[in-house]
Order: sequence, then structure tokens, then C-alpha cells
Amino acid sequence: MSKVYITGLGLITSIGNDLASITRSLRELRHGFEVYPPFDQPDVPVKIVGTIKEFSVDSSDPEDWVFPKKYSIKREILRGLAPNSLFAYCSMLQAIEDARLSPDDVANPQTGLYAASGGSPFLTHHYHERMLKVGVMRTSPLGIVASIAGTLNFNLVAHFKILGASCGFSSACASSMHALAFACEEIRTGRQQRMFVVGAEDCNTDSILPFAGMRALSLQTDPSLASRPFDVARDGFVGTGGGAVVVLESEAEVARRGVRPYAEVAGWGQASDGYNVAISHPDGVGLHLAMKLALKSSGCAPEEVDYVNAHATSTPIGDASEIKALKAVFKTPGARPAISGTKALTGHGLSLSGAMETAFCAVALREGFIPGSAHISRLDPLCDGLNILRTTVAEAPKVVLNNSSGFGGANVCTVLKQVN
Amino acid sequence: MAEDVHKNPEVNGSKQPFPTSAKSFTAEDEAALTEALKRCSPATIEAAVKFRKTGDPTPVPTVVIGIIERFAEPDQRARLRVADDDLRLIEDLGIDSLTMMEIVILVEDALQMSINNDELRNLRTLGDIKIFIDCKVRGLPPPKPSRFLPIEHIGAVMPIQPPFLFLNEATIGSSSASAKYKITGDEFFLKGHFKDNPVMPASIMLEAIGQLAVLFLIEGGHGEEGKQADPQTIYFTGCEGVRAHRICKPGDTLTISIKPKRLKMPLATIEGQIRVGQEKAVYVEEITLTYGFREAVAQPVPAAVPEVAAPKAVHSLPAAAARIISPAAV
Repeated sequence: MSKVYITGLGLITSIGNDLASITRSLRELRHGFEVYPPFDQPDVPVKIVGTIKEFSVDSSDPEDWVFPKKYSIKREILRGLAPNSLFAYCSMLQAIEDARLSPDDVANPQTGLYAASGGSPFLTHHYHERMLKVGVMRTSPLGIVASIAGTLNFNLVAHFKILGASCGFSSACASSMHALAFACEEIRTGRQQRMFVVGAEDCNTDSILPFAGMRALSLQTDPSLASRPFDVARDGFVGTGGGAVVVLESEAEVARRGVRPYAEVAGWGQASDGYNVAISHPDGVGLHLAMKLALKSSGCAPEEVDYVNAHATSTPIGDASEIKALKAVFKTPGARPAISGTKALTGHGLSLSGAMETAFCAVALREGFIPGSAHISRLDPLCDGLNILRTTVAEAPKVVLNNSSGFGGANVCTVLKQVN
Repeated sequence: MAEDVHKNPEVNGSKQPFPTSAKSFTAEDEAALTEALKRCSPATIEAAVKFRKTGDPTPVPTVVIGIIERFAEPDQRARLRVADDDLRLIEDLGIDSLTMMEIVILVEDALQMSINNDELRNLRTLGDIKIFIDCKVRGLPPPKPSRFLPIEHIGAVMPIQPPFLFLNEATIGSSSASAKYKITGDEFFLKGHFKDNPVMPASIMLEAIGQLAVLFLIEGGHGEEGKQADPQTIYFTGCEGVRAHRICKPGDTLTISIKPKRLKMPLATIEGQIRVGQEKAVYVEEITLTYGFREAVAQPVPAAVPEVAAPKAVHSLPAAAARIISPAAV
């Protein structure tokens, strides 16, 4: 079995659109929230979004979009993109540069791409409306590939000439973590030498506001209070979007190319709650088992874990489940990892979050710090006995556990290790 | 289903001409039209507004070219401005089949007409599109689509064979034909014409024009239904008004085109020219051939299914488009 390394990252997030500014935001606990103008209406009780700066993608016509000049994208490509695939496209360019991959390294049968997004409800709505208004045969020929959930893999595989394995993953907020996990398997088993793992979501009314119906969104109007995982007064998550690309490579490729990896993906595990379509198990049974399996597959004991990047979306029920699961895993004496939820800064990126937070963990491992869990003014007493990190510490973690959970009670956890 | 959701079902059917006594074109319609054409040139918008206001088809080509220009990559737009009707959208302009559909959808929207998939398949050159749209807005039946003939087909039907065949590929329309020939430098006569200076003989270029006329006759360009020109009966009888404008050398691609002037068995008179890129190379006012028909009429083609039935005629869109058009493949 080959080892698997993270060798490149690309990120478009609410806390920065390049690694340097994201690293600074993570260190200094700067959030990416703003009062979102489209929510500024009396009948919309949700106000705060983790907005993507420097991108203006509110138009249904991609040729109207504004994005940083360094990404020059031809009309031929743009016309098939949704906002989420634009974020992913830009993240992909960053990741290829960051991993120092040549065009031949990207386009060969040994290199694949796994992706996850919820699609673009915004564009789906637009194209359906246009079909009803102007006629069946006058909708954009690329409306489908731009808007359905596979838009990331369709677009990126075609435009970056990917020749290896490719597909999309759909397990809601665990999707891109599933993508990462199965991408690791491709490399471990030798079926692929390199995998791009992509997560991306739109960041607009259509992608975020439908979660208000299930009362999952925070109704806070203060950007610095809205997302506060583990705080006793947390009242829901803050929506965000963006893109994240993680480049995974085999030991052999790392040696051949002579690159310095961010981290090793040492193992992963998954388990399901078998409980409720949308609510996590009150005791976090699935997440508990997923963490145990991840540690087992990586050969790590609970007391070796230095840092847990929790799923921690800031919902009352979800965080409580995770707290109980964490207590069950780290109950042995000496097992007291630092725990934080970076969604306190970014908001919840849905399908994107697994890949995005894997990238954050990779940055923490390479740069040697542990980001704190922001915005806690009164820690939930349920956390007694857990080391919820309130401020960033300049300690280099050696072993990091990263949690991810999605609708239907899907739970996926990965273990990342420092590379010497 | 389309009828249910269209605002104007009476102009929706593909066979329906645009009603020249169009209903009033409101300020709201004009705003929607201007919005739809916002990335086209002001001249395109102006032409579309004029057409929609008056029903006068004169500005229609401007609208169509303007829409194609909007979808062409910027570096290709200059070609479109000087192009003649033989310019091929896919091969020459690099417009792919999906962009072709974007063009069609915007043309439909701007001119308030519908173009169905079968019609779309036959539109290959700028000329095809101009003629097609023109027929459409005038309510005339569209002309027979032109057919692309690859070298395999040309070699199989022509009485003239290599090394004396100067057509690499051809497109045969109902009242014109065009072909391409690339001078390779390996042509046997270039060794002596001229010494250390290979130049395509003007007489051979006339021969190429004549060969395209032969192909045109064999492929039914004589216009008599149910009759077939017999390749064994076609010979040169004369030519008039020949002018050569440009020396053609190895590496040049000749674009040969002809138009019939008089066609009545046993004589066919055509006008022809050769260009290299946009440069005129040879012009001939008249070439006259003599020809006869085959005795027996070979296998009548069923009238209801013209060229589309023959695989060789399905050429306009690459396989990707066919896949997208075919619901069975989705």
C-alpha cells in the first residue's frame, strides 16, 4: 500500500482567496462574514453570510461575472460554469501551481479527479424559468452541465484534460470528505498516482436560504456572533460557498518530483447514524465510530492526536452530538487534543467543507500552529473535559483528526500526519 | 409541448414563416431584444430592431452575421468580416456544435423564429445560413442543403484520377460548388514548371475549375430530376475570359468555386474562380463542358428522404452535436 501525501492546495473562501491570506485569517482568527445585501428584507430573518470577496457572480450570465484578473477564462469555458465551478476552476489553477505540476502531470491516465458540490440551485432555477418562459428549445445548451451536481467534475475533467478516475460524491456536508477518502484509496491501492479532490459551492440566496426552512441557519445580525461553535448560545450555522482543491500524491510521485508535502493522509474511517434524515444522532454514534475507525486505520492511538478540526457547524443539536462523540473517543487519560471549529471563521461550506478544512489542517501542519475556535464567549458546559481551544497557539501538531458529517447521518473522518 | 409554453404559438412551428404583417413591436419587446443582443455590435441591434419593426428581410443577414460574430473567439472575428459565403463555421471559424446551438437560439430569439434540429444539421457555411434564414423570413421553402464530399467520394465517382485529380474535398450546393486543393509540391509537373521554381501552371488551375464542374454535373448539378450525367460523356469544349492574378506555389491551398451560367444538355457553361485565402488567383468568365445522360435511370432516390438519408450527407455537425441532439443518448 502506497502512502498518500497532500502536495498542493487551492482555495477560494470567505476568509481569503489565496493561501497567504487564509493562513493569516486562521492564525489571527479573522472571520469572513458580512451582512448579505440580498437578505436585507423584512421577511428574511437570516442576515449573515460568509461572502466570497473579489468575485461578483450574481448574474445568471457568466459573461457578466467579475473575478480576479489573474484567472483568465475563455467564454467557451465560462458558458458551462456555475458560480461553484468558477470557484473550483480558480482553486484548481492555484492548486496546480502550488503543487508545481506540469501539464503532463495533470493530464495522464494515472491522475484522476473526485469532486463534490450540491450543484447550482441558482442556475437550475434560472434555466427552468427560462424554459417555461421562452420555450423548451431556447434554453442554453449548456444549462444542464452548468447547473447539476456534477458540474465540477464535468467542467474540470474536460478543461484540465484529466484522463484518470473521475466522479462526483453526494453525501451533503460530508461529500468532499468522502471524495478525499476514496481518492486516498485510489492512490493506496496503486490504481492512481495522483488525485485532485475538489469541493465547491455557490454562495448565494438559492444555495443558502433553503436551510432556513429547517431552522438550521443562525439568525444573528452581528457578523462576529453568528457562527460560534461550542458556545452555549450558538443558534445555527452561517452559510458560505467557495472552492477548495487538495492535491493527493503517492509516495513514488512525491519522490520522483522532489516536492515537500504539506502532510500525510494517514487513514480514514466512516460510519452512519442510521437515525434521521436530517438530524444527527443525539449521542453522535456514527461520528464516534467513524473517528475510531479513522484512528485505527492510521495506526494512531487517541492520545497521539494533537488537534481535532471538528465538524462543528454551530447548530445546537449538531455540535452537541459531536461533543458527545469526542468525549467518547478521547476518554482515556492523556488523550486531550486541542479542538476547534474553523466554521466559526468561514461559515459552513456544505459539500465544500471537508476539502476546505482538510486544506486548513494541512496548512496548520506545515506552518506549525493550531487555529483556535473563535467567537466563544460562554463555552457550552457540555464541553467539560474537552480542550476546546479558544485562541490560536503556535504549537506544531503532529497528528490531526478532521471530522465531517452530512445529512442522513453520514460521518467521515480523516487522520493527517506531520511530514518531517 | 413547446406550443403550450410559447407566447406566440402561431410563429412557433418550424415550417411557419415569419408573419410579415407582424403584430406591433412594443417598447418592451425592443428592450428585451436589445438585452438579448447586448453583446452584439450596435449595427446588429439596429438591424434586428428594424426587421422586427417592419418585417423587411433586408437587414436579416446583418443580424445573423452579427450574432455569429458575437460568439466567435475575438481573434476569429476579423475573418468573419471579410469572409465570403464559403466560410465554414466549424472547420474555418472553430465554432463548435454547442456554440452553433447558442447562435441558433439567439437568432431564433432575435428574429422570433424556430429552427429545428434537422434544419440545423444542414447549416455548414456562412452562405448556407444566410440563404436558409432568408428563405425562412420570406416564408419560402429552404434550398436543398449543400453536401460535403470527402476525397474518398470524389475519387469513386470522377472519371479523372490521380495524379491528375486536383480536388481534395468539395461542397456541392444546388446552384454552386466549392472545393479545396492543397499544392503539396510533389505534383509531377512541378519538377519542370519551372526549373528550380515550382509554380502551379495556370492551365492546371483551369483544369481544377473544370474538374469541379465535372463533379457538379455528376452529382446532379445539371438540375434535371431523375437523370444522371454519364462521367464517360463529359469533355471540355471551350473557355472565355481567363485572368490569372496570383502565382500559386507549394503550400498554398486553392479554394475553387463555380456557379452555373447555362445548363442545357449537351452543354454546361459555368463561371469559376480560385482564391488562396482572401486573395484572388484565377478567374474564368466561362468554361463550357459537353455532357450526356446515362441511358437507364439508375436507382431513383425516394423524394421524401433527400440527402439526409445518405450517410455522406450528414456532415454539418460533429458527433458531439448528434449526441446532444439525440434524446436517446442522454
